[in-house]
Amino acid sequence: MSEQSTAVAGGEAGTAATTKEAADAQAPVKPKNNRAWFLVLPVVVSVAFTAVIPLMTVVNFSVQDVFSPDDRIFVGLEWFRSVARDPEVRAAFVRTLIFSAQVLLLEIPLGVALAVAMPRRGVWVSVALVLVALPLLIPWNVVGTIWQIFARPDIGLGGWAINNVLGLDFNYTLDSTDAWITVLIMDVWHWTPLVALLAYAGLRSIPQPYFQAAQIDGASAWAVFRHIQLPRLRGVLTIAILLRFMDSFMIYTEPFVVTGGGPGNATSFLSILLSKIAVGQFDLGPAGAFSLLYFLFVQILCYVFFTVLTRSGR
Amino acid sequence: MQWMVWTLPTAMVFAGLALLLAGMAIWGHFSPPVARRGFLRIETDRGDRLYIGLISAAVVLAGWIAVTDLSMWLALACALAVAIVIGVWG
Amino acid sequence: MARTTGRRLPWARTVFWLYAATLMLPILWMFGMSIRPNDDILGSFSLLPQRVTFENYTTFFTDSAWYSSYLNSIVYTSMNAVFSLIVALPAAYAFSRFRFAGDKHLFFWLLTNRMAPPAVFLLPFFQIYQAVGLFDTHLGVAIAHMLFNVPLAVWILEGFMSGIPREIDETAAIDGYSLPRFFVKIFLPMIRSAVGVTLFFCFMFSWVELLIARTITSVNAKPIAATMTRTVSAAGVDWGLLATAGVLTIIPGAIVIWFVRNYVAKGFALGRV
Repeated sequence: MSEQSTAVAGGEAGTAATTKEAADAQAPVKPKNNRAWFLVLPVVVSVAFTAVIPLMTVVNFSVQDVFSPDDRIFVGLEWFRSVARDPEVRAAFVRTLIFSAQVLLLEIPLGVALAVAMPRRGVWVSVALVLVALPLLIPWNVVGTIWQIFARPDIGLGGWAINNVLGLDFNYTLDSTDAWITVLIMDVWHWTPLVALLAYAGLRSIPQPYFQAAQIDGASAWAVFRHIQLPRLRGVLTIAILLRFMDSFMIYTEPFVVTGGGPGNATSFLSILLSKIAVGQFDLGPAGAFSLLYFLFVQILCYVFFTVLTRSGR
Repeated sequence: MQWMVWTLPTAMVFAGLALLLAGMAIWGHFSPPVARRGFLRIETDRGDRLYIGLISAAVVLAGWIAVTDLSMWLALACALAVAIVIGVWG
Repeated sequence: MARTTGRRLPWARTVFWLYAATLMLPILWMFGMSIRPNDDILGSFSLLPQRVTFENYTTFFTDSAWYSSYLNSIVYTSMNAVFSLIVALPAAYAFSRFRFAGDKHLFFWLLTNRMAPPAVFLLPFFQIYQAVGLFDTHLGVAIAHMLFNVPLAVWILEGFMSGIPREIDETAAIDGYSLPRFFVKIFLPMIRSAVGVTLFFCFMFSWVELLIARTITSVNAKPIAATMTRTVSAAGVDWGLLATAGVLTIIPGAIVIWFVRNYVAKGFALGRV
């Protein structure tokens, strides 16, 4: 593949948004046709089976004490009361929020910096894209396995280096702070590439004349970043922030593999606690109430995400 | 359907939601919704406001049960009030 | 081509490649673990393997508990990707081309299913799949994963399709093409990269999912991820074998990564970038 066509292919992802806007501007109103419902029907049916019926069942669980399908007592909102006041649940909620906040604070600046530093022309573009994207395509449990091994003081390079090169006492299986740091670094390792790729797509969609003008004015690299690149990244960064917030808020697999929620409750995030109650203890009622409160919170986030996405498209 | 462990109250809630959706669909057929801007500062049509209202009502209920022992009927009244305010002026 | 992409700090390139190298380090380390005998892993710490062995790989491919769960994962993820695509194609077309009653709300509702924590659906899934006889089957996991993959596929495909001007549809209609014929003969070939990207992302999200797959399977359809979390025995963890399974599970993603490199951001951002 020639250098030119690589660059064009690389730019495609970045300019898709612009072409969409252009297409929308050409024909602002789509034809109204309620028969389109027939095209959507398969999706509605399949998602109804996998989402609506289960959710209804969760609602039913949440108001009863279920011993078996034939032996159950209606308890009203009792499970909601006990779950909403459970110190363990509240602690997990706060823990998850703090984790999400830390994830954003680390990954967004790092991702943007990375995108700015990434090569934008030449054969190295593809190599860089592949290298950066690789962690994203690793199964989440394997991400856990990689760090489970890498951060161990006895067999992992990372853990070994911290103990023997830096001389710090580091063991994520015993110390809560170490476990938290391990999970956080793992998440940064895993997901910063996503922020970087989104920001990179945003950078590539900036029209060249902006840079030419800046070059004529003799603007410094920092000025170019601050006044040309950063403002133009607003759209993609909003998407990145919301995506990262929501996905880190439901994190399960990676910390489950590395720490199993421990030591103690140190890395017991909402999903880990919920699946412990649901599958581990099989407490249908509390798990149902917990699920619904969790789901409610995610719904709100989701609506914000959707509103931002559809409004920025206009 | 045995494993879905239905109860009368939850069945009524879902039947109510289904009726609400059907009602909105029929209403929308006879007088198509118009998007406008209310005190929420975003453009919403009545379907959006219904959704935001329901979610806000649920938040009120959840918050109520988490902090106070006062009657849930009172909470329900507050939640409905919030939903109506959002539905009409949101 | 003129040098127009903006001025850069001289060390930016170096920092970037250093970061990329750091990114690879944990993966390479796991690969290093997979080609060492277990005695060496636990015996003494060394940067490079003292003795290189492929006995872990041999064990993996001869022990049916390992290779069959690997095959299980491939079977249900492939089924899931195909199902999700078939269901999503017409819907995405409808969303990108028409307005219809409740379209916006439906589109949003799909998103909420992609964003909902899988943990929320665990209990009912367990009950439902036992009730309808899909528990511990490949079909069961494939259907369960449609929960988040169908919305994902619809959103990604809609993003791609909206980039294609509607005039093409209209011209084809004037030329006497029926909608199904137009869709298969003209439209699908035009969006083949979108179809590829969608298939890839459905495959990937199903491949990485552990919680649901583990909950609704026990033996016959047990995914590789579940087998991996159960390597802890009384004798401790079999690190070599665990690392081997990890390396082999990365391979499907690593094979296709070159072809999807320009679409990774788009896929994760649900076709919105």
